[in-house]
Amino acid sequence: MNDTIQTILALIALALALSFLIKKFFWKKARTKKAFNDAHDCDKCH
Amino acid sequence: MSKQINVALIGNPNTGKTSVFNALTGLNQKVGNYPGITVEKKEGICKLPRGVKAHIIDLPGTYSLNASSLDENVVIELLLNKNDKDFPDVAVVVSDVENLKRNLLLFTQIKDLEIPTILVINMADRMSYKGISLDIPYLEAQLNTKIALVSTRKKNGIAELKELISNYKDLSITPCMNASEIDREYFDNLRKAFPNQLLYKLWLVITQDVNFGKTDRNEIDAVADFKTKSKADLKRLQQKETIKRYQFINNTLKKGQTIDLNTAKDLRIKLDRILTHKIWGYVIFLLILLTIFQAIYDWSSVPMDFIDTSFASLSEWTKNALPAGAFTSLLAEGIIPGLGGIVIFIPQIAFLFLFISVLEESGYMSRVVFLMDRGMRRFGLSGKSVVPLISGTACAIPAIMATRNIESWKERLITILVTPFTTCSARLPVYLIIISLVIPEGRFFGLGYQALTLMLLYLIGFGAALVSAMVLNKILKIKSKTFFVVEMPNYKLPLLKNVVLTVIEKTKSFVFGAGKIILAISIILWFLASYGPGEGFNNAEEIVKTEYAGQNLTDDELHEHIASQKLEHSFLGITGHAIEPAIRPLGYDWKIGIALVSSFAAREVFVGTLATIYSVGSDDEETIKNRMAGEVNPILGGPLFTFASGISLLLFYAFAMQCMSTLAIVQRETNSWKWPLLQLVIMSGFAYIIALIAFQLLK
Repeated sequence: MNDTIQTILALIALALALSFLIKKFFWKKARTKKAFNDAHDCDKCH
Repeated sequence: MSKQINVALIGNPNTGKTSVFNALTGLNQKVGNYPGITVEKKEGICKLPRGVKAHIIDLPGTYSLNASSLDENVVIELLLNKNDKDFPDVAVVVSDVENLKRNLLLFTQIKDLEIPTILVINMADRMSYKGISLDIPYLEAQLNTKIALVSTRKKNGIAELKELISNYKDLSITPCMNASEIDREYFDNLRKAFPNQLLYKLWLVITQDVNFGKTDRNEIDAVADFKTKSKADLKRLQQKETIKRYQFINNTLKKGQTIDLNTAKDLRIKLDRILTHKIWGYVIFLLILLTIFQAIYDWSSVPMDFIDTSFASLSEWTKNALPAGAFTSLLAEGIIPGLGGIVIFIPQIAFLFLFISVLEESGYMSRVVFLMDRGMRRFGLSGKSVVPLISGTACAIPAIMATRNIESWKERLITILVTPFTTCSARLPVYLIIISLVIPEGRFFGLGYQALTLMLLYLIGFGAALVSAMVLNKILKIKSKTFFVVEMPNYKLPLLKNVVLTVIEKTKSFVFGAGKIILAISIILWFLASYGPGEGFNNAEEIVKTEYAGQNLTDDELHEHIASQKLEHSFLGITGHAIEPAIRPLGYDWKIGIALVSSFAAREVFVGTLATIYSVGSDDEETIKNRMAGEVNPILGGPLFTFASGISLLLFYAFAMQCMSTLAIVQRETNSWKWPLLQLVIMSGFAYIIALIAFQLLK
């Protein structure tokens, strides 16, 4: 395995790591059906 | 292809519903969330006779279909929405043989929705012990259902239950009660307005705050000749419904169930008297905690040492076996040490969850909740807050989700805000490595100093949660009503299968949840530590050779100085040096600073980060602990991890808000960025001040 292949593999690992972290912490998932109002205040109902 | 039957497992809390779920599905289960909300959803596949498969959903425990909390709403939403892909072909209602009367309330409500329903009477092995006998054919006839008498403990009745599920089409859907009995005039009007709808279903839609299909309350209100009642009237009718149902249940059980009190032997009352005693209760709880923490240390040391040396050898082997180059270095100095930093803590985490699961399974945890309720009130919390605070020892995220069953918004908000103080499993690796470095191994009355320190840190976390709850209770001006009901389940020997499944599930989620983040961060850190701008990095070799020209350094020593020079002038080193002025008063160097910053993503990244930083450029086959112990304070000389800097770090981690996922969940649960941001600023600021005071006093 020469240096170029090693560098390419390392860069691929870096790209995968970065995209994983961006997806995990910064990617807003599209919400499916919204079942409840998030600001639901139980005291108002009971 | 064989058809898959949708089965909903429903029941009151503490009826052994999860044990039935485990018995039916074994290892074929997965845990997720309901779409759009964070209530836990457990699903599994069960093989039934004649090649039929059942998709089992374990729904959150609920006392009735008159929901008062968000996770209870999940049950109603599913049962009212025929278009839901999980809508059950058959509902299996799990009841406890000792609480049949109360459990049947929910059963009769589900039956009235005309869903084929099976009644499971669980814990049947306790019948003779409690002097209970049941007339099953009579009960089946009265309740229009089939009954499975089950004992998950003795593994009895599961085959019969599977048989009943596979024959669900033979089940009667005749309701237990005629819904019109609640209020004839009102229900007649309702029937006229919606002739094609099931009356009881309409009644639930009117009385609950849930969505289902196309019929919702607004549509009912919109019908011109039909008016819904006021909230107070509806509440009154709900109470009337409950009374009617209990009348029906009492009549049914009068003939169907006999209890011979002379045969009943009750150890439970005696045990409860001691375990919930206002003094002995706390003493016993403290002793149990001490035993747990000591055992965590004593039992895990051997497997932990083995894992530590194995990863060090693997790293060394990788470096020697693969051709030299960037990717090999990334593997040997970045990925393997980073992963080693998480795998090493598997034994301790598994033992912690083993104990927690045994306490829950045995029924003791409910006594702790009851015991704590008295003290909790003074801090503006209720007994129900104990459950999130205790489950926070695993992870703050499910703990914050668990606050959904707290009815009072103020108590819920306070619990959400203070739960991250509880020592979560992510703090554990940080605590363990620092304790092993700075606390001596001696013993005090048979208890190790290290175990005592760990227990103290757990108590500090819990104490911080209580004190901040008290402060928030005074500051927050939210009016709320509060009540506390806790179910006291019977004491029982924990089921090995349930304990093992819990330990596997929790350890797996810790390793794979944190492991992926740590792997990604290790890769990025390795890049930042292995490359750098300017002369200091690019000409490191020449600079070091010139600097040490007069000294007779060995090759190894020279190599170490070059690695150190490169690391210090790498991108990571430059960043670390930039933040060093802010953390030096706390006793930390720039390397710890980098670990602090990276662990804002998740606390457990701290150990992995240090393992990666200390591995970059190092040729020695060393364990993480030895590398950390060998670090020298650049200013004062001597070891970097001293008693003062160690305690300062422990306290910083005890109080700082270092978990992006927790912040995200708090934002979601409070529907505001105000609360998570306040949490981040106040907790981390407080952590900084306490760590600063600790270091300055102890140094």
